[in-house]
Amino acid sequence: MGTLTWSMAAPAIASAFIASLVEAVEAFTIVLAVATLRGWRPAAFGALAALAVLGLLIGALGPLLGHAPLHLLQFVIGVLLLVFGMGWLRKAILRAGGIIALHDEGAIYASAAAGLGSSVGRQRAALDWVAGLTAFKAVLLEGLEVVFIVIAVGAGRGLLGPAAIGALSACLVILAAGVAIRRPLAKVPENTLKFGVGVMLSTFGVFWTGEGLGIRWPGNDLALLVFALAFLITGLAAAAALRRLGMETGR
Amino acid sequence: MSILADLGKELGGMFWADARLTTSILLLVAGVGGLILAVRSDPLLGGGILLLGCLAILIEAAFREAKRRARR
Repeated sequence: MGTLTWSMAAPAIASAFIASLVEAVEAFTIVLAVATLRGWRPAAFGALAALAVLGLLIGALGPLLGHAPLHLLQFVIGVLLLVFGMGWLRKAILRAGGIIALHDEGAIYASAAAGLGSSVGRQRAALDWVAGLTAFKAVLLEGLEVVFIVIAVGAGRGLLGPAAIGALSACLVILAAGVAIRRPLAKVPENTLKFGVGVMLSTFGVFWTGEGLGIRWPGNDLALLVFALAFLITGLAAAAALRRLGMETGR
Repeated sequence: MSILADLGKELGGMFWADARLTTSILLLVAGVGGLILAVRSDPLLGGGILLLGCLAILIEAAFREAKRRARR
């Protein structure tokens, strides 16, 4: 493998960082609810156990990815990115267009807290297990998406390391911010981030699916900018049209 | 078992939240692949169809969901 330059690594780090920020906020909200209601021990235990499972998953998948032919890898990841990214973008458009409600970290926190609170009648030890499992599930499920993002952003170019650094930094930033303010991170502009991530994943999806099919994009990596602009403009225009439509029908 | 079920649900949701969106993307990719690999047409034409097709599918999926929710 050639020398890794900053200009090659930076886009992978930045993409994985931004994409993972959203997932880290969602996982942190649940872990915080567990920690507030049942203490930091079950919350930390559950979260660390989930991180260990994710680490095993990465350890098992990483070497396999290294052995797959690059074109096949780009094609498979490109298609997965298209499906995953366009799904995210569709949801972000519907949220921005006022069709579905915005993600509410406060409500998610309250719901997790209520779920744990309803178990109050049970014994304390059992309750700590329930709390730990809640944190475990939240970190595992959101972490799974982070793992996918890292693979999606990094695997097609041999940039798994930089992408993992970006994702890990996002988790640490959210953890530090969350521990400092000890409240759900409701002020994070989640839908704007999701919109951006949806655009980014769909852009990489078209690029890598095309490369996997043998298309040599004009301008090479510069084509990514054109694709991103196309998805961004289409997404914003669709959200604006849905908002107008909603106002006209009085929704 | 509940964790495994949730894990399966989460994975499924990542790729199959809107079945028609997923199917449309897969059909588009298969069509473009066929055009480039089987018909041997200009790969750039296939690339253009791939990009424009994705944008069209995205718009259709958003408006279809908006209409579905408006009818409820």
